[in-house]
Amino acid sequence: MFITFALITLLGALGMLLQKNVVVAGLCMVAAFFGVAGLFVLLANPVAAALQIIVYTGAIMVLVLFVIMMLSSHQEEEAAVSHPVQRWLSVALLAVLAFGAVNLVLASPGVKALAVKGAEMPQAMTLQTVGTNLFADHLLGFEVAGLVLLAAMIGAVALTKRNL
Amino acid sequence: MDKLASLLHTSPATAWMVAKLVIVFGGVFSLAALWTWVERRGAAMIQDRIGPNRAALFGKIKIIGLAQPLADGIKFFFKEDLVPHDANKALFWLAPFLALVPALMGFAVIPFGRSFVSGGHEYHLALLDPGNGMGLLYPLAIGGMAVYGVLVAAWSSNNKWSILGGMRSSATMVSYEIGMSLAVVTIFMTAGGYDPSEVIKAQGHLPWAWNVVRQPLGFIVFFTCMFAETNRLPFDFAEGESEIVAGFNVEYGSMKFSLLALSEYCHLMTASALIATLYFGGWQVPFVQNPSVLLSVASFLVKMLFFAWVFVWIRWTLPRFRYDQLMHLGWKAMLPMSMVNLVFHAWRMSQGH
Repeated sequence: MFITFALITLLGALGMLLQKNVVVAGLCMVAAFFGVAGLFVLLANPVAAALQIIVYTGAIMVLVLFVIMMLSSHQEEEAAVSHPVQRWLSVALLAVLAFGAVNLVLASPGVKALAVKGAEMPQAMTLQTVGTNLFADHLLGFEVAGLVLLAAMIGAVALTKRNL
Repeated sequence: MDKLASLLHTSPATAWMVAKLVIVFGGVFSLAALWTWVERRGAAMIQDRIGPNRAALFGKIKIIGLAQPLADGIKFFFKEDLVPHDANKALFWLAPFLALVPALMGFAVIPFGRSFVSGGHEYHLALLDPGNGMGLLYPLAIGGMAVYGVLVAAWSSNNKWSILGGMRSSATMVSYEIGMSLAVVTIFMTAGGYDPSEVIKAQGHLPWAWNVVRQPLGFIVFFTCMFAETNRLPFDFAEGESEIVAGFNVEYGSMKFSLLALSEYCHLMTASALIATLYFGGWQVPFVQNPSVLLSVASFLVKMLFFAWVFVWIRWTLPRFRYDQLMHLGWKAMLPMSMVNLVFHAWRMSQGH
């Protein structure tokens, strides 16, 4: 199961990078999101899987594809001047980021929890636990995220509607 | 069930799972096919016509035209399968499946009858057993995926009318999803759980305790949003004969068109099942405390098919909205109503303690 979902995720991500057609690339990204949702289910977190599909594939990617189709520029534009320095710099940055991320994940307590078997195995996540965690332990972060989203929304309205 | 399982050399759980798969997917699919006939007969009834009544089995047995879906299916299979020259071939082939698979999958979590115990095993009448952790988030997630069938079909045909249809309908689906989700969240809140079995249990067997009476506003919002989500009239902006030829499926023919059309009816079935589960007590039989399993299944089917009929009824009663009216209704009526519903019930629950 893990191999299947991991392959879906990786192939989707690769397809998204390599496809010249922007709409097909977007659909590959949807496949990658689906693979990630499957991985969430395998990690006994069906709530995260459902939210992943609702938020990312169901809403955000639809809007992204929507904009791409509206603009109807389906082929990627070639860069006018190629900057090999930029490319190498981005590769190096990406490598550093990836290394840091992998290190963080391997050092987190969650990895040790995966080895626990039997009765002490952590329970599957439910919506109730997510809710209590969000509003009891991480209230400040939640409110800040809400405020940032609100600001982004107001900004979008102000940018697109000049004569309110 | 035990005997059958031992005959097939599997465990009862596996045999039951396979049986449920066949029942649910076969049932929804054949009901969807049947509903194409119900739709045409219903339209004829409402418009004072006769409708399809000529199709007969073996040229003899005419059961009020019930063989029509079969005849349609055979005809679709033998039609020429055209792909437009400038279409994106791979996506053009993929689109009918992208439309059909989510439509069929959405039903998996809905309990269509009471759980029962037989031979020491508990059998649940839903594909995903209660306590799977996804609960009613699952049909919402899968319902959100339905947009891709329409979008991909519209874009891959490489036809400006189909793209217009796809754009309109995907915008509709995304905007109505918010109001719908907030209505469902209110139910999660009052039921104290998000598993369909918990939602059904919280409603009980008395009709005045069902969510439709407790949350009439939420019901109106959810019911309206379901029309937008299933792409049915008065909100079927994927299509529009007078404006954009036929809409997102204008380039489709033969079995591919049939799949796109059937997926709409599968959606309709899932939507009516959701309405029955969320607002009308699911498989609960009015005034019967502990109904037998068959009675509960029958009760669920009656509720579901009634709402499926309401979808047909409304399609032939109301004209199509204009696009801006639809967006006004979605953002300026449905979303605030849903919000009011949510805040009101949250306030009532906070007063209750």
